[in-house]
Amino acid sequence: MNDLTLEIIDLSLSFKGLMETTKVLHDVSLTIGQKEKVALVGESGSGKSVTARLVLGLLQAQNKTRVSGTINFEGRDLAWMTARERRQLRGTRMSMIFQDPVSALNPVYRIENQFHEVLKRKRPTVSLDEAREESTAILGDVNITEPERVLKSFPFQLSGGMNQRVMIAMGLINEPTLLIADEPGTALDVTVQDQTLRLMHDMVEERGTSVFFISHNLGVVREFSDRLYVIYQGRIVEEGKTEDVFANPKHPYTRALLAAVPSITSGDTISDVINDTSAFLAPREVH
Amino acid sequence: MGNVLNLLIRRVWISLLVLVGVSILIFLIARVIPGDPARIALGPNATDEQVIKLRGELHLDDPIWKQYGYFASELLQGDLGTSLYTNRPVVKDIAQFLPATLELVFAAGILMVLIGLPLGIISAKYEGRFLDNLIRVIALLGVSAPSFVWAVILMLLFAFFLPLFPIAGRIHTDFDIDRTTGFLLIDTLLVGNLRAFVDALWHLFLPAFALALSGIGQAARLTRANMTETYRRPYIEMAHSYGFPGWRVARKYAFKPSLIPSLTIIGLDFAAMLGNAFLVEAIFAWPGLSRYGVAVILRKDLNAIVGTVLIISAAFLIANLIVDLLIALLNPKIRYARRNP
Repeated sequence: MNDLTLEIIDLSLSFKGLMETTKVLHDVSLTIGQKEKVALVGESGSGKSVTARLVLGLLQAQNKTRVSGTINFEGRDLAWMTARERRQLRGTRMSMIFQDPVSALNPVYRIENQFHEVLKRKRPTVSLDEAREESTAILGDVNITEPERVLKSFPFQLSGGMNQRVMIAMGLINEPTLLIADEPGTALDVTVQDQTLRLMHDMVEERGTSVFFISHNLGVVREFSDRLYVIYQGRIVEEGKTEDVFANPKHPYTRALLAAVPSITSGDTISDVINDTSAFLAPREVH
Repeated sequence: MGNVLNLLIRRVWISLLVLVGVSILIFLIARVIPGDPARIALGPNATDEQVIKLRGELHLDDPIWKQYGYFASELLQGDLGTSLYTNRPVVKDIAQFLPATLELVFAAGILMVLIGLPLGIISAKYEGRFLDNLIRVIALLGVSAPSFVWAVILMLLFAFFLPLFPIAGRIHTDFDIDRTTGFLLIDTLLVGNLRAFVDALWHLFLPAFALALSGIGQAARLTRANMTETYRRPYIEMAHSYGFPGWRVARKYAFKPSLIPSLTIIGLDFAAMLGNAFLVEAIFAWPGLSRYGVAVILRKDLNAIVGTVLIISAAFLIANLIVDLLIALLNPKIRYARRNP
């Protein structure tokens, strides 16, 4: 046994269609240690979001999917758990933060009721008053100055940045060991995204939460994560410490990704779309 | 809550305006139907003098705007005139027949909500699987066959071949119940006769179910459609990612946002049943307002036609009003929207 929070070994996933089966993950392996912040970077459709959903155990129950490989969460293999046991982990030991905070919060319930529901996942008998008290405390941690007003609000009455902070608070209130962040704040503007990410960074540092950070945005990943994996067409193409990969990208795809980041200082224009992608299928590089 | 009150006041005003419009329209239409009401009322043996006299009493020879004037001033005093068919004040007729129909329609409406919505929820939760397909077939059957067909089928199956339910009527003739409210379910309870209550309920079931079937189908289909769409929303995935049990997600997270569009149609269906109840009432010998309405149309009983239509329109408007209020209460976006300046 090891003390990794998450260990994925040779994970493959296919979707069965009517005529053919589409393979979307090819032997993906990655690890996240305790208190480690690990990013999975790739373009849209590269398989990063499905990886997150497999870790949560959301895709295993569907009859269109075929999964092979191992996902060990805190040393226990998800495949050996029942659907109910996997569900029991969600919201208590691991939780998720979504891309668009406004549409990820339920539109017809007040924030306080949504906090209450989440708290009940861990302690089913918790009262609304207790929930309010705890939520007020954690909303203070995410720099919300009027927690009472926010708790009484519906998501549509709050700004995107507010909702994002509410969602971060909700994701951490049950003190999970693993926080999965799927492109957090991509729907927000850049400054707000930057603020909330810094906030999230401090929160998880303080609490010692491991983070599985999914993003296409290299700039964000560079600031946030300790280590990163680059994924292309369902394959991990490069992995290593964040500063190592940025200092010395080895894989052609990683280099192309880095070149695609628009920069103000270099004076370059936005780079061209690359047509020849054959080099991107080169074998994996490990730092 | 101020918003909801404002909305209510505005809607009541609009409803009153609509009612005035309806009264003018139906007043005109009733008078355009061919045939002389006085002649039909008096029968073929009446003399021309008698007919002319009755026409005079009914102001039928005055210009139509004048006729409406008479009608409107009486209406404001709560008088809808006298029925030529029953020879009684129309208000009295309506008071006698309306409760039976309302009882039937309310029962059907309750069945529609209690059966239709859960079927829709189950269907959406098991989307694409056997249970979903089964419910969709049932719902389609309910929607596609008119309620009088169901009335005949149900009557044959469950009252004739398998005598589980009474064939017709509202209550067994052995029971003599004071009609205080006209709602038998309430009247039997008022006099404390439980056996009569059960008997009335028993009589009510088949006609109410026949009347409700298309609404049940409609409610199930709509709820399913709205809920399957809601299921694709990020907040449902969020609910799953927090490990809420599947049924809780369906009931609490997917159903409530989906209910809002379904409610409008349910409200309209509910009011439409008042009119559609006619054939069901005819088949089950149910002494209700719909049967009365058709009888008076065939007799060209002007006052009774206008009275009946006004009552049914009012019921439509009230049903709509209630639905709008419910939606406002359910949808926080309406409840807390900023008022227009």
